[in-house]
Amino acid sequence: MIDMTNVVDLVLEFLMQFDAKTLILAGSAIGAGLAMICGIGPGIGQGFAAGKGAEATGRNPKVMKDVISTMLLGAAVAETSGILALVVALILLFANPFVAMSASMWILSASAIACGLAMIAGIGPGIGQGFAAGKAAEGVGLRPELKGIVNRTMFLGQAVAQTTGIYALIIALILMYANPFVG
Amino acid sequence: MTGIEFIKACSAIGAGLAMIAGIGPGIGQGFAAGKGAEAVGRQPEAQSDIVRTMLLGAAVAETTGIYGLIVALILLFANPFI
Repeated sequence: MIDMTNVVDLVLEFLMQFDAKTLILAGSAIGAGLAMICGIGPGIGQGFAAGKGAEATGRNPKVMKDVISTMLLGAAVAETSGILALVVALILLFANPFVAMSASMWILSASAIACGLAMIAGIGPGIGQGFAAGKAAEGVGLRPELKGIVNRTMFLGQAVAQTTGIYALIIALILMYANPFVG
Repeated sequence: MTGIEFIKACSAIGAGLAMIAGIGPGIGQGFAAGKGAEAVGRQPEAQSDIVRTMLLGAAVAETTGIYGLIVALILLFANPFI
């Protein structure tokens, strides 16, 4: 049996040797990396859209232009959560708000890591919106004359799918700019 | 261990974490390639159109992997914290 309190004490003792700024910047580096994990979502989703687009083009090459335009529109929406994660990572790297705050270094470095953790939620909207884009491309390939209504339905569903990604962004922004644990 | 060393160590962890993003484009583009091959098999005469659509979509799917790579490269070679 390992005594866990001993391990925690050792880790805290190890971290205690650094000054506050060092711990905050170290946490921010880990947070920036965690945020980018979000890229899994748009990657899977847009790939699904690309596959469905290729399938629809193969079924009827005459509708290729309509299929591609719907596929790219849907994929562009699926990209948003990846961009939001990139923005959070770049803020942590180049406009770090934690350095200027005066609070316990533990709270600030943990908040920096938590910003990155929150943005991982973007995986979900990325996959879901990409699925919607793929199915819309398939639908436009079958009935190109319904392109307008198919696109509108796709956008409506994608907007709902985006919500959880927005929640994550809100939590990350609260941690960075309105941290309730500070002051 | 100095403070700079600790920041460098954590930046290395962060760079590794960022590259986990590569899972997504890998799965997605693989699906696209599979569907593309399926479509070419069904209609070989439409091969160029199918491949063009597939590559266009796969290029979009690549973007988030590139974002992760950029953040990892920034952490490694242009680290703003050091």
